[in-house]
Amino acid sequence: MHKSSKSRSKNSSHQISNKVRLLIFIVLGFLIYLLSNNVDELRVYQGAQVSFYVIGIASIILLTGYSGQVSLGQGALLGVGGYAAALSHLHWHLPIPLTFVVAILAAAGAGALLGIAAARLSGPYLAGATLALAVGLPSIANQFTILGGEQGLFFDVGFPPESLGADFTQYKWFFWIAALATLIAIFWLQNVMRSRYGRTWKAIRGSEVAAELAGVNIARAKVLAFTLSAGLAGLAGALLAMTIGTVSPSAFPLALSFSLLTGAVLSGVTTLGGVMIGAVTLVALPEIVGTVVNRAGASEAIATNLPHIVMGTLLILTVVFVPNGPVEQMRSRRVKKEKSL
Amino acid sequence: MFQLINTLLIGITSGAIYALMALSIVLVWRSTRVINFAQAGQALTSTFIGFQTLKYVDSFWIALVVAMIGGALISALIEITLMRVLLKHSTSGAIAGVAPIIATLGLLEVIQASITLIWGGADSLITPPLSNTGFTIGTNTLVFSPMKLAIIAIVAVLLILLTLIVQKTSIGLSLRAAAFSPELARLAGVRVDAVRTLGWALSGATGAVAGLLLVANGNGSFSTASIEFSLLLISGFIAAVIGGLESLLGAVIGGLALGIITAFVLMYISDSLFFIAPFVILLLVLFIRPQGFLGKKGGRRA
Repeated sequence: MHKSSKSRSKNSSHQISNKVRLLIFIVLGFLIYLLSNNVDELRVYQGAQVSFYVIGIASIILLTGYSGQVSLGQGALLGVGGYAAALSHLHWHLPIPLTFVVAILAAAGAGALLGIAAARLSGPYLAGATLALAVGLPSIANQFTILGGEQGLFFDVGFPPESLGADFTQYKWFFWIAALATLIAIFWLQNVMRSRYGRTWKAIRGSEVAAELAGVNIARAKVLAFTLSAGLAGLAGALLAMTIGTVSPSAFPLALSFSLLTGAVLSGVTTLGGVMIGAVTLVALPEIVGTVVNRAGASEAIATNLPHIVMGTLLILTVVFVPNGPVEQMRSRRVKKEKSL
Repeated sequence: MFQLINTLLIGITSGAIYALMALSIVLVWRSTRVINFAQAGQALTSTFIGFQTLKYVDSFWIALVVAMIGGALISALIEITLMRVLLKHSTSGAIAGVAPIIATLGLLEVIQASITLIWGGADSLITPPLSNTGFTIGTNTLVFSPMKLAIIAIVAVLLILLTLIVQKTSIGLSLRAAAFSPELARLAGVRVDAVRTLGWALSGATGAVAGLLLVANGNGSFSTASIEFSLLLISGFIAAVIGGLESLLGAVIGGLALGIITAFVLMYISDSLFFIAPFVILLLVLFIRPQGFLGKKGGRRA
């Protein structure tokens, strides 16, 4: 632990400058654009899924990895974002980009409330409270008719603009929107984590008492982390709603919260560097396991349940053997090697 | 007045079941300082073990005992294979504090998928051993039935048994010592690992009773996707927190309080608050007394 923290301060002295980083993101965006032209429909759709998982996982990394709070109810916040986007589109007829903004703001507001409650709680208490929220919140949709009950509401972002050509598919349009939103969100999040607040959260994660003695306002920093994390979750929720075309209680089940947490742990919660690992695993693993099972000629029951067993097992193994995630693990191994030379 | 008594009795019965779940959460917390979110999954597994037993024997009570033994074994196995390794490995790092929570969630997923694989997703049926038709007072028929009375009796007996084990026997003393300070307990000659396994086994058996009684309290049908079991997970946790996570009696009081309050909310306000009511109650408790009603306020630790 001491070794890795020493090397972190060494690395930060020659961090990539912001302009270069922006350029990297733009190149990344262009590569994604090229990629989207060369893969089939299903892959493009899965690309959109990976995109909102990336944002959802990043929101957990911000919360758990950086401020040390654990939320098992992130799916509920995605739900708030999804419903906010759908409602603002249906009732205020807002253009789509603005509905995403509404989603972010609504979820951030909910997150701030939750954060104020959460700042008083720690460890198991917070986990339990957010878990209860994840189970409880979706049922509110049945309470108010404006939320559309079990069926939910439609959220239709419309056809791709005609200027993109006649053979530009709907899924590709989803993917473009989602990928762009993800690139912007991750770029922004990196900035936040390098800022004063990012350092404050790291200090809290290291030792709450030490941070408080150094003059950090713990409660405020935690509420801020919760708020920003919830805003990201809201955006992920709006993107999720876009790809499935509706929002309903069943679109934001407890399993979604667990999936995001799994993705975050697989990615490694201490750094944003591995965020793709978790997101891709979440989308690809069920399909890979399903294909293997089908090839082996196993029954339908095995094909539907085995992915969950594999995913759960993977989560447990990661927590036990690579608790800080693969990226951090490789880095600390490299540092060790350098030291021994 | 009649409706009031009726609601109260419904609340006490479901509260008694929540209390059992809270007891099993508290037992694990006391022995290893872990909140086991897989508890409801384990309870569901034990319920299926009971269901399987009923295919060979005719008695609910024998099935209950078999389920308790099965639940205890599964729970002990989890402690030995998973928790021991986990607690040894994750002593430092960013998620050291929440690693056990996340691991038990992974476990919950594995358990749920496994029992769906084994028993299928369709509804299964366990016929309640006693009548679920309510007692009659004069011309009114209560919802309160012989089955519900038996549930309350079972919970009372279990609470007394567990309290006796924990407070009055040398095993209980080792259990408390191991939880209080593993290092010191080890130096004093307590076999900490064995004691922890025992705590988990007791918890598994208690959870098994909670699962079977939950099914018997309803119409007897249940499945791997039963909504009642996710509610059992939340309610058990909330009841344990209300009671302060440490005390067995607190868990029971917490369970009963939660059951009664929820019953009144559902009866007098709206029955669609089924899921949100426990959450609101939890938040209120955490705001008023974050350490629970029977918990002691602990000092801050670095």
